Amino acid sequence: MKILLVEDDVTTIEYVVKGFIEQGHNIETASDGHQGLLLATSMNYDLVILDRMLPQLDGLKLLAALRATGSQTPVLILSALSHVDERVKGLRAGGDDYMTKPFAFSELLVRAEKLMQRGLSQPTETKLSVGNLVMELLTRKVTLDGSELMLQPKEFQLLKYLMEHPNQVVSRTLLFEAVWDYHFDPRTNVIDVHIAKLRRKFEELGFGELIETVRGAGYRLREGH
Amino acid sequence: MLAIASVKGIKPYQSSAWRITIIFSALVTLIIGTLLFGMYRQLMNEQELQTDQHLASEKARYQQMALTLDRRSFGIQVKTADPDTALVVWRNSFDLVGALSLIPDDMPLLPQTREFPILTGGPDKLHILTGGLVITRYGPVLIATRTDQLGTLIERFVNVAITALMLTIVLTLALGYLFSKAILRRLVQYNRLSRLIEKGEYSTRLPVSWRQDEFDMLAGKFNGVLDTLENNLTAVRGATDNIAHDLRTPLSHLRIGLEQLPDKTSQELPEACAILTEELDHCLATFDAMLSLTRIEEGQQTLELQDLSIKDMCEDLFEMAEAMAELNQQTLLLSTGEDIKVTGDKYLLFQALFNLVDNAIKYAGDGATIEIVQAGREIQIRDNGPGIPYEAKDKVFERLVRLDPSRHNKGTGLGLSLVKAILVRHNAKVTLSDNQPGLVVRINF
Repeated sequence: MKILLVEDDVTTIEYVVKGFIEQGHNIETASDGHQGLLLATSMNYDLVILDRMLPQLDGLKLLAALRATGSQTPVLILSALSHVDERVKGLRAGGDDYMTKPFAFSELLVRAEKLMQRGLSQPTETKLSVGNLVMELLTRKVTLDGSELMLQPKEFQLLKYLMEHPNQVVSRTLLFEAVWDYHFDPRTNVIDVHIAKLRRKFEELGFGELIETVRGAGYRLREGH
Repeated sequence: MLAIASVKGIKPYQSSAWRITIIFSALVTLIIGTLLFGMYRQLMNEQELQTDQHLASEKARYQQMALTLDRRSFGIQVKTADPDTALVVWRNSFDLVGALSLIPDDMPLLPQTREFPILTGGPDKLHILTGGLVITRYGPVLIATRTDQLGTLIERFVNVAITALMLTIVLTLALGYLFSKAILRRLVQYNRLSRLIEKGEYSTRLPVSWRQDEFDMLAGKFNGVLDTLENNLTAVRGATDNIAHDLRTPLSHLRIGLEQLPDKTSQELPEACAILTEELDHCLATFDAMLSLTRIEEGQQTLELQDLSIKDMCEDLFEMAEAMAELNQQTLLLSTGEDIKVTGDKYLLFQALFNLVDNAIKYAGDGATIEIVQAGREIQIRDNGPGIPYEAKDKVFERLVRLDPSRHNKGTGLGLSLVKAILVRHNAKVTLSDNQPGLVVRINF
């Protein structure tokens, strides 16, 4: 996948570029708004990661100009402006997702991949499976090593999100947004509590270690043996 | 500074009260002057009219006498005429008969009159007479009357008028001066106190007297502003201390952790980094919370308004928090009533409600029962935990105030301030009361 990063902060550039290259993506950078717009309109990218405050051309103006050319390239806005209304402004201007600095690369990766996959026409899946864990999306039936798990609706949604990103660290914010339709940092253990309940059900079947806690980052669903 | 210094050194005659005094006294002088002038004119007219009438009746009398009396008797009549009534002089063919020894030239015929001076031997040598000629069959007769008393009268009148005017001016100016001085005394006092405040003595208050005049109103208002300012300053001071605690502690942990990182073995390293990341995230969260609190409080954040169902929000709240309560062996109950729609920002409002439930779960203690009760436009969050002391009820909404002095529980101390700010922006009311035991938080939309 080909990604364009429009960002002027060198540290952030190095951090993001290193991360995406390790994940096998092709990433190019532009360090100011004009260059960014030029690249974004002349080349074909699968995703543009856009900083809001850029020299020469503001991120939101760049985005508006890009959208005015009819480009449908997904755009993920990165910004140090964390307020809810800034987020709304960014999404209104044509952004597809919004992330606040500072951020964890793992979260950026999940969001970026989600946006890039959106463009691909995938067959609508009716079944997810990770190792010995199988989820039937239509019947909402989940089996672990052949035994059925009884899950509450929120637990089902949590697990679904984890299963969509196997072996990836998924941050609490991502899980929170996926399960509840609210955007705010709950600053509390609400996700941990729900994960703990889910994990207890796994433990009953002897697979408690499938959901792994990554300190300082989030959770990871491991593919069973 | 300069402005204040110059106000302090102001003289009474520089004040606005003095300017008003000047204008006022000029007006009074003008009015009194006009009145006096009017009176003077009236008096003069009256006097002239009387003189004219008097001379006219004398003229008629002498014309009549000239017709009815013979020449000799007429002469006697003229000679014996009472000088207080009129001075009469008759010029016959030989000489002048009467009270005066001459008839001035070009005297007009009555009723036209003319003033003319005469010399007498008495103490007041010069007299002013007013008179005119009457033509009789025995020759011209001059009839005149003394009008110099009138002159004296006018002179006195003018003197009195000038004195009255001078007195008016002096009195109004003197009163005005005292008046401005009295006003200035209060202003200078206000100025002195303002300078104390400027120097940092924020407990200074302006005196308010029982009179309730405009100055007392001003002083009262000013004191109100000072109260708010002082409260804010105290709050900021408190907040600064709390920020120091809330941000310095995790920051110093970070510093220690970073210093120790090089000594870690490669097995320990990921765990150590993760711990540091968590500390840093906590700092950032506190920082973000402060920023968004300020933005919401100052109305900079635009609300994304939409119609919301209070009932749905309570149900979401219950669903989200139930597992959290379970973890503390607490029971979370939900009871909802009639579904009511309110207009508001979904995320912000939910965040506020969630904070309140989260607080109840955090502080009600293990085994407590927490209820979310929705009835009409009211949401109650009740718990049967330890509650909060009565005197802390308003304090808990202040920034960075935490009732736990050790700040043991992980939190920003901004949660309730944020709740209040969000609810205030939504014109909702939040009140705390005693659940006996426990706490009831009531939110009225």
